Amino acid sequence: MVKNKLRLKDLFFVALYGVKARKGRAAMTSIGIGIGIAAIVAVTGISSSGRADLLATLESLGTNLIKASPQAGFFGSQEELPEGVIGMVERIGPVEEVTSTTQADLLVRRTDFISEFEGGGISTVVTSSELLDVIGGNLTEGRFITDGLSDIPVTVLGSVSAERLGITNLSQPSKILIDDEWFGVVGILNELKIHPDLDRSVFIGYGVAATLFDIDEEPTTIYLRANPNFIEDVVDVLAPSMNPENPDQVEVSRPSDALEAQQAAETAFTNLLLGLGSVALLVGGVAIANVMVMSVLERRMEIGVRRSLGATRREIRYQFLLESVILSGIGGLVGVLLGVAITLGYTNYTNIVFSIPVWQIFGAVLVALLIGAISGVYPAIKASKIQPAEAVRK
Amino acid sequence: MSTSTQPVISVKNISKVYEGPPPVKALDEVSLDIYEGDFVSIVGQSGSGKSTLLNMMGLLDSVTDGTITIDGDDISELTDDELSKFRGEKIGFIFQSFFLLPGLTAQENVAEGLLYHGIKRDIRLEKAKDALELVGLGHRLTHLPKELSGGEQQRVAIARALVEDPSFVLADEPTGNLDKESGLNILNILKELNSKGKTVVMITHNQDHAKMFEKVIELIDGKVMSGEK
Repeated sequence: MVKNKLRLKDLFFVALYGVKARKGRAAMTSIGIGIGIAAIVAVTGISSSGRADLLATLESLGTNLIKASPQAGFFGSQEELPEGVIGMVERIGPVEEVTSTTQADLLVRRTDFISEFEGGGISTVVTSSELLDVIGGNLTEGRFITDGLSDIPVTVLGSVSAERLGITNLSQPSKILIDDEWFGVVGILNELKIHPDLDRSVFIGYGVAATLFDIDEEPTTIYLRANPNFIEDVVDVLAPSMNPENPDQVEVSRPSDALEAQQAAETAFTNLLLGLGSVALLVGGVAIANVMVMSVLERRMEIGVRRSLGATRREIRYQFLLESVILSGIGGLVGVLLGVAITLGYTNYTNIVFSIPVWQIFGAVLVALLIGAISGVYPAIKASKIQPAEAVRK
Repeated sequence: MSTSTQPVISVKNISKVYEGPPPVKALDEVSLDIYEGDFVSIVGQSGSGKSTLLNMMGLLDSVTDGTITIDGDDISELTDDELSKFRGEKIGFIFQSFFLLPGLTAQENVAEGLLYHGIKRDIRLEKAKDALELVGLGHRLTHLPKELSGGEQQRVAIARALVEDPSFVLADEPTGNLDKESGLNILNILKELNSKGKTVVMITHNQDHAKMFEKVIELIDGKVMSGEK
């Protein structure tokens, strides 16, 4: 067998010549691969950013938070938990922290100029100072209902409530109207993510709730932190401990589950988009094969000249194969850049962590090159089989 | 003018049949010898088998029957790869339509003549420059084919054929696409090359051109009609 004399570097330039000589066509040919790779990189990038963000959120919130509340009544009425429930829960071994809140049916308004019928869907939660620690929340401004503030008509706003009430900062003293009592705003919470109900609430202390609205301390929701190693066990015994007679009337949930479920739903969507991206890649590959076959037919002269200058079949084959790989590689690179840009844009816009694993980028380029190689096989063989005498025919 | 006893190209009883239907016998028992330093023209009507003969001698096509020997080697024993390398190293081709690569400059086009020889690019370009100067185009190195006249393009093609320093040059109607003056110019370049010792075999339609050759082979219906003058 004769050894290849075409130097590897020259082979690359010969293949590149084929691409460069038809720039417009090359661009259009690689679009398919570009779109496919961009779609796949963006979709996996967005989903991995989402996952990274979820992990960061879960990390900060902890997955050992458990929420228990009475099962909603048959007609949607809010049931109460049995008396002394906190004590019962505290006696469960792995439980580390417990706090409770009481849902109050009060109308929240910005001022008394707003009609009583336009409450804005903000609920009032009566709470003690521990709540913030247990649920892992933090404040954008001000402070929470500390023990000293419990008896005073002051309130802390959840993030959504703050927005709806038009109080986004505390640079000026602000008041809101709860039922017919004025409450000074002392703090605004950050978005809680896994407690959308609390985001839409305003918080007041038990002391002031009792004196102004005659609300007793019977909790409607329990929040607790348990030893992460026994979390399932705690979930299992919580309802029977809280209401031994009717354990099915207690609804126990882990807020982190909801996030994970949401993520799982997004995964299904991600897979769909990945499927679409793969179809684009397939179509892109076929497009490259098509254009390359056409190119081979058009370039019989070039093939004939190269054969007459000493190119072997193999060298012609490599040339067209590499040309196809280059075409597809260009598409792949552009696709990766586009995909990363889309992911960056998305993560910036939604304010989540940006994360694309490096292997994913390399993988995408590799897939593009592979598609180019596969698409190039048939045209390359076709090119190498052209008889030199045929190719140089006048 | 025969300067050595062993022919550069020796063609013995070759036939070429293009499979039908109907089968066409393009060459019929053709024999001829080309010696080093020969200046040969092949003449004949269209379809007489001139190009087929030239392609056989250039190893671009295979014979149906008979043997071709180049520099003493029987080429029927060579593999396709070896034939390719043989073409690259021993034979310089000049085509009627120049066949330059449109995206490359004159110098790069000529350098392509050494691409399959495993020579580094800068050396290829250096040799290409020398070859272009030999055909009087030293001032056109960076021009693209479309920026050159037909005659100039054919001179680039000649330089490409010569850059590898082949044993012989095969030219298939190199003046066919050129005006009278350019054609004559090309012929003079080939004649000059021959006077420096290069073996040249050229197909021509032009009777005036044929007269300039020391040896004319006339083909009629795939058969050799006349040999040396």
